[in-house]
Amino acid sequence: MALNMARVWCRCSSYCIKKNNFPNVGVNFLHLSRSVAGYERDPAPLFFSPDVQRIMRKMTKVDVKKVFRSRKLGEKLDAPEYKFLTSEELEQYMKETEKKVEERLQVPPIVKEREEINEVLSVDRALTGYDSAKFVFTDITFGVPNKDRIIVVREPDGTLRKAFWNERFRMNQIYFPEPDRQLRTPHMFEEPYLTNVLDRGEYEFVLDRACVQYEPNDPEYYRVTSTTYDHIEKEQMFDALQSTRHFGALAFYLCWNKQIDNFVLYYIQNDRIEDAVMLIQLFHLLNPESKSAETDSKDALKFIQAYISKDSSRKSVLEIALQSFLELQKQRQFVEEGIKKAHGM
Amino acid sequence: MWKNAVALTQKIYLFPRCNGLRSISGLPCSTSCRNSLNNISRIRSINIQPYRCTSFFNKLPADHLWSGVTGVSNAGKKRGRGKGIGRKSSKDLNRGQVIGVGKANIVWPGLNAPIIRGRELVQQQQLPPDPEREKKLEEIRNKMGVFKPLRLSPMERGWSGSKMPGRSIGPPDSIGEDNFEGFDTKVLELKLVVNMSGNFGRKRRVSSLVVTGNGNGLAGFAMGKANDAKASLRTAKNRAGQKLVFVDIYKNHTVYHDFFCQFGKTKIFVQKKPEGYGLHCHRAIKTMCEVIGIKDLHAKIEGPTNLGHIIKAFFLGLVQQKTHKALAEEKKLHLVEFRKENGNYPEVVASPTKCRSPEEIPAEEVLDYTQYCMGNRIVLKKKKYPPFYTKLPFWTVCMKKKENIRNHDKVRLHLMSEYGEIRSFLTDKYPECKPFYKSPSEEVDAEN
Repeated sequence: MALNMARVWCRCSSYCIKKNNFPNVGVNFLHLSRSVAGYERDPAPLFFSPDVQRIMRKMTKVDVKKVFRSRKLGEKLDAPEYKFLTSEELEQYMKETEKKVEERLQVPPIVKEREEINEVLSVDRALTGYDSAKFVFTDITFGVPNKDRIIVVREPDGTLRKAFWNERFRMNQIYFPEPDRQLRTPHMFEEPYLTNVLDRGEYEFVLDRACVQYEPNDPEYYRVTSTTYDHIEKEQMFDALQSTRHFGALAFYLCWNKQIDNFVLYYIQNDRIEDAVMLIQLFHLLNPESKSAETDSKDALKFIQAYISKDSSRKSVLEIALQSFLELQKQRQFVEEGIKKAHGM
Repeated sequence: MWKNAVALTQKIYLFPRCNGLRSISGLPCSTSCRNSLNNISRIRSINIQPYRCTSFFNKLPADHLWSGVTGVSNAGKKRGRGKGIGRKSSKDLNRGQVIGVGKANIVWPGLNAPIIRGRELVQQQQLPPDPEREKKLEEIRNKMGVFKPLRLSPMERGWSGSKMPGRSIGPPDSIGEDNFEGFDTKVLELKLVVNMSGNFGRKRRVSSLVVTGNGNGLAGFAMGKANDAKASLRTAKNRAGQKLVFVDIYKNHTVYHDFFCQFGKTKIFVQKKPEGYGLHCHRAIKTMCEVIGIKDLHAKIEGPTNLGHIIKAFFLGLVQQKTHKALAEEKKLHLVEFRKENGNYPEVVASPTKCRSPEEIPAEEVLDYTQYCMGNRIVLKKKKYPPFYTKLPFWTVCMKKKENIRNHDKVRLHLMSEYGEIRSFLTDKYPECKPFYKSPSEEVDAEN
C-alpha cells in the first residue's frame, strides 16, 4: 500500500478542485512496462459482441430452481408467504421471474486489466517539506461516477499527481461505500486461504465475493477469477457453476486461453455433444485464427472431430473418448431396436 | 476355690435373663446364688457391681427403635414435619456384614473359609485385626440415612424439578405384534383426585394425562386413573397407544398453515415458522409437538390454560389442517409459495383441477391466505411501546456514558480478525503499549 505508513489527510470538498484548473503543461505519462498477465488483447469487444453473449447465455442452461436456490445470506429466515393466484396473475409473476433470471445470470464483464495511473499534474518545489504526510484531495460532488471522480495527491516533496488505483479505491470506498466491499482485501483472497476455499469447492462463493470486492479491470480480480477457473478446470467441476452467472465467464476464460480440452472431454464423457459443440463455437469466435475455425460442418460429431484433429493438444485422449461415445451410441441403438422387436413394434 | 468359681459361672448361665451382679473379673453371678456366695465370701478379690441385662434395646424390634429416632409425632406429621431435605431415615446396620466375619478376625473353616485347602485341613485360628473392615462398615453406614434427591439427567427432567409432568415414560406396552417402535410417551398431568361416597368415604386416586407419538406425525393422548401413580401412568400410556391420530407435518418440521383452534373457552392461535425457529408456545403444546414431530411453531393461548382443554384444542386444530392441494381445490385458485431466501421465486405448491378466472371472484371474497386459514379471523397484534425505563433520567445518563464505547466490541472483533491482536495506530511506534489483559493461564503462572 502506497499510503501505508503516511498520515493521510483527506480534505473533502466538492469545490476545491475543478478539472479546468489542472495545468496541462505538467502532465506526463509514466507507463510502467508491466506485462498484462491475462489479456494481452482486449477481450471487451469480443465479450460484449451479441454472438458471444448469446452462446454464453445458452451454455449457462437455466435451471430456475438452481437460480433461485436457498442461499445462506446470514439473514433471519421468515416463514414462507402464500398467495392465491389466478392463472393470469401467475403468468404475470412468471414473466417477472424470467426478467429476474436474466438479471441474475448476467455474466460479469471481462475486460482488459487497467494500467497504473502515473500522471503528474504539477511539481511545486516551494512546497517541499511542508508536511510529513501526503494530502489527498477528493471531489465528492454527488452523482459523479467513481470511475471519473477527481482524486489527486500532493506529495510531501511538492508533487501534485493523480491518485494511484489503490488510493482511488480507498477514497471511493470511504466516501461512497459499496455494500459488503471491504477497505482491506479479505484474507480469503490471500494465498493459503484461497486454495483452501477452492479445495472445498466453494467456487461460486469466491467468484461472487470477487465481483463485490473488485472492479472488473482490477488485476486482483483477474488473479482470483483465473485461479478459480483453473482450479475448476483441473478438478473437472464444471457443473458447479452451471445455472450461475459465472458459467459464461468460465467458458470465455477457458476458450480465450485455449485450454478447453478438459471441458470438451468432460462433455463427451457425459454425452453432452450439443454443449461441446457450443463450447467449440465459442472457441472459434474468440480465436478466429485457429485452424479449425473455418469448418462449418453441420454434423456435430464432424465439427468436434475437426477441432480435435486441428486445435486440440490432447488429441489421443479426446479421440478415444469420442470413439467410446460412438460405440456406446451404437450399442444403445442396438438395445433399443431389440426392445422394440421384443414388444412387436 | 477356683473350682467353686467355675461352678458358679456354670450356674449363672442357666439364668441369663435375670438381674444380677457382675464381678470385675468378668464372672457374672445372680441373686439366687447369694447363699453360695456367702459361702465363699472369704474371697476378698471379687468386687461386685450391680448390672442390668435388659433395656428397650433388647426388648423392641429394630424398626420400632428406628421409628423412635426418625419418626415425627402425630401433631408434627399434620404440620408436614419430617419431609423433604433434612429428613432422618433409618439405617440398615446389617448391610455390609457377612456371617462369620466379625471384629475378631477369626478363620472358621466351613463358615468363612474352606475346610480343606489343597491337601491340608484348615485350622480355626485368629488373625490380626483388620482395620479396613471397620472403616468400610462405617462408610456404608454414613452413606445411609442421608436424604438423596432423585438424580435425573437434565435431558430426563420434566417441566419442574423431579415432578412427572413433562417427563418421558417410554413407549406403550406392546400388544401382540404391535410393539410401538419409535414411540415415546410424555406425561402432561399427574394429580391426586378424590371421590366422596356414602359407602367408602373419601376415596383417593391418581389421575394422569399423557401423550404418546412416534415423532413422525402419529400421536395420541389419553387419561388414566389408578390407585397409585405408576399404575395410572401405565394405563394412560397404553390407552394413548390405542387412540392414535395422524397429523401431516409440513416438510417434516412445522404445521401446514397458521390456524386457530378452540376447545371450551381455551383458544389457541398457531403460526407456521421457518426451520430453526423452535417451539415457542405453552409447555404442554411444546411437549405435544416434540412427541408428534413438529419442530418449529409459535402458539399463543387465549383464555384458560386447563391442560385437558389445551390438548384437545391443539389436536383438533392439527387434525383440521388442510393440505395445500385441498386449499387450492377449495378456492379454485393456484396456491403459490414465495420464500425470501429463494429470491421470492413463485413456486406453485398446488393447482386446482379448474382455475377460476378473475371475473368469477367476487369482490368481497377473502383472498388473504393467512386470514382464510384462520377462518376469517385476524389476530390482534398489539403495538409494542418502548419500555417505561427509557423515559427515566437514568436511561439518558446511561446512554450518554455508553456513547463513546458503543462500537468497541465490533472494533475489537475486527482487529482480532485483521491483525490477531488489539492494536491501534500507535502500536507500530510503541509496540510495548498493549491493552492490559491477562489470560487465565498467565495468571496461574504468575501465582506459581
